[in-house]
Amino acid sequence: MKVSTRLSAGLTDSQRLFLRRYGPIFAVYGFIVVLIIIGATQSERFLTVRNLTNVARQAAFLGIVALGQMLVILTAGIDLSVGSLVKLSILVSAIVMNGEEANQGAAIAATLALGLLVGLIHGFLVNEVKIAPFIVTLASLGILRGISLSISTSPVGSASRPFIMFYVQKIGPVPVIALMFVALLILTALLLRYTAFGKYLYAIGGNVEVAHLSGVPVKLTRYGVYVICSISASITGLLWLSRMGVGDPAIGDGIELQTITAVIIGGTSLFGGRGTVIGTLGGVLLLGITANLLVMLGVNQFIQGLIQGIIIVAAVALYKQEGD
Amino acid sequence: MSEYILEMHNISKSFAGVQALKDVSIRCRPGRVYGLVGENGAGKSTLMKILAGAYKADAGEIIYKGQRREGLSAGDVIDSGISIIYQELALVPRMSVAENIFLGREPQRAFGILDLKSLHDRAAKLTERLGISMDTSLPVSELTVAQRQLVEIAKALSQNADLIVMDEPSAILAGSELDQLFGIIESLVEQGVTIIYISHRLDEVFRIADEVTVLKDGELVDTRPIDQLDRQTLVRLMVGRPLDEIFPRTEHEQGELVLVAEDVSTDTILEGASLELYKGEILGIAGMVGSGRTELARALFGADPLTSGTITLVGDKGASWSNPAQAIASGLVLVPEDRKSHGLFTSLSVRVNITLPILSRLTRFGVLQSRAEDKVVEEAKERLSIVMSSSDQEAQYLSGGNQQKVVLAKWLETHPAIVILDEPTRGVDVGAKFEIYKLMRQLNNRGIAIVMISSELPEVIGMSDRILVMNDGRIVGEVAQEDATEAGIIELATMAGAKAKVS
Repeated sequence: MKVSTRLSAGLTDSQRLFLRRYGPIFAVYGFIVVLIIIGATQSERFLTVRNLTNVARQAAFLGIVALGQMLVILTAGIDLSVGSLVKLSILVSAIVMNGEEANQGAAIAATLALGLLVGLIHGFLVNEVKIAPFIVTLASLGILRGISLSISTSPVGSASRPFIMFYVQKIGPVPVIALMFVALLILTALLLRYTAFGKYLYAIGGNVEVAHLSGVPVKLTRYGVYVICSISASITGLLWLSRMGVGDPAIGDGIELQTITAVIIGGTSLFGGRGTVIGTLGGVLLLGITANLLVMLGVNQFIQGLIQGIIIVAAVALYKQEGD
Repeated sequence: MSEYILEMHNISKSFAGVQALKDVSIRCRPGRVYGLVGENGAGKSTLMKILAGAYKADAGEIIYKGQRREGLSAGDVIDSGISIIYQELALVPRMSVAENIFLGREPQRAFGILDLKSLHDRAAKLTERLGISMDTSLPVSELTVAQRQLVEIAKALSQNADLIVMDEPSAILAGSELDQLFGIIESLVEQGVTIIYISHRLDEVFRIADEVTVLKDGELVDTRPIDQLDRQTLVRLMVGRPLDEIFPRTEHEQGELVLVAEDVSTDTILEGASLELYKGEILGIAGMVGSGRTELARALFGADPLTSGTITLVGDKGASWSNPAQAIASGLVLVPEDRKSHGLFTSLSVRVNITLPILSRLTRFGVLQSRAEDKVVEEAKERLSIVMSSSDQEAQYLSGGNQQKVVLAKWLETHPAIVILDEPTRGVDVGAKFEIYKLMRQLNNRGIAIVMISSELPEVIGMSDRILVMNDGRIVGEVAQEDATEAGIIELATMAGAKAKVS
């Protein structure tokens, strides 16, 4: 706090506040720029349309769930089940679709309904049975994974032809999936900025007692946020089906930690009440570009975890400077 | 419709076997100010939380605007025209002033989309009506405590409240801010709003209340029109005994110097604090919330690293310390303000709580000697008259006063030379308060020096041998016990140029 006070001498109060609040996010983006420069100078393949398209698509796969995760974490909750739900979603959608274009609608509906159901159950357990979100979603991480693997341990079902084509579709040079992510980013930002629901997320995470005494519909908001998060995982399951073409039960592992990592790097507080869409995007991009760059530079993949760990600590240390 | 806007009849409430309210009744007419007074733990806040729908009464009924009310949620209560401004400010720090004012009742267009323009316009209008100017888009965390209080009032006004309960609104206000608050209350009353004003500052009650209700130990003592009361009578009703019997005094010479702090600053609001502490005395530290009192205590205890200055223990070859463990080893302990989060393991037994700091003394070859442990706990129980069912009882089931005694017992087992008490009697009932005062004197008699931080001026003045007044992170004056008056201390604590700001 003292450091940033000195840095920001001579600014107005609101400028100083802005800097304190968004400074670390600028740092994340600054780091992304550094990575891009390293990539551009060290690898010929990095700044190619083909590679950047890949990076954008991968960012979308992580980012869509990360947005849902961020909303839950804003309320001081957490959703550990998203990875398992992605896994179950790709299986359910592949089995229902079974390679037929005619079954597409039913497959999408069934998968989204699955997300809705899981979200409602999470909301119910957190709200009515009053179990901590960590426990509730830890349990469903195991349960959903168990259901998935008892359905099949080898690839089952398949996507229809047009559904597989969706993965490679582009508008101009940009993959449709990346555009979809951008649309969801904007939608989430608007939700947080311009709706009562968005404000309630911050209020609940900021001080649930105050929210309750102010007449905020705490339970309803929590149902909403867990449903949104689970549906974001179902959507990602559908995207994975489009990419894989079959219901591969190997998909989904570890997504929960990846999303939590991205959200934290983006400056969202695990204790709730603080976080921005632009920050989460930064976290997603930083993770995606780091991973891509390591592959491009031929660095051992196993080092990725180590580097991610360092990034998390560095990012959180930066946010600590904010002083509240 | 009856002549009363609110009637609460025969309200009783108990928590985990402790009777917080017993058969309390109050009635309020519209457009009047009702003082609700009583010591800490008298049940004022509990009564108001029942009104708010935050607690459910065990017995009794509430009639509001002629209708019997039952099982309303917090939101329903607000909609019915009751606003409660809580003692612990009920604002979300990172949200803006305007968002806080309208939290739960945001102006919306279709589909839950906020009308941000109207949100800010209405917030600005409200703050204008209160005669204050502030940027309503600033987050509440950037405001001073006094400004936050005003935001709370704006929030109550925005709810078109007919009845506003203010729970110790003045605890953090001073001087002109207080005048501003009273001005606002007067104009609200002219508009027909009923105010229930909870306070233990009697001057204020006499200044604005039309009628005063006194609670003591959860029971109604009396309700009287203000013009049939004088200060002496009110104190007697509240406390049950005259003032000079509350604070036990001992006459003693100033002892030898035990601790010197010179020009101490830390990375907080605290700046350039110097003090001396003598054996067997109580040094009171007064000041507004956020004036740096707690920061001073933390600095003395080594909990915050010093950025300048020195703290030395006299006589012990100038021992110094840079962390709490070393401070404890040097004979200095801190009994923190918020005992639930800093001083007590509420889910552990009384026994563990008391013996934790001295476990190494109670073990032989690494094995805990339970007989030695029993002895320590038994002695502490005797000495401090702690009321508990057994030493295995969890600390959370003790009353506030007994919890505080357990915290004290724990630290006394380390045989300290200096004890720092941060708000030692906050949230304990009158009886326990009296016992804590007596205990403080006993410690003095054993030669222990006490530094006492307290927001309750009568307590500071009644107990301290010398009083240091803090303001905006600095020590701005020293007052001897015999010269101390509440007005004098408040003046020092709120001098111009200084702002009460929370860290």
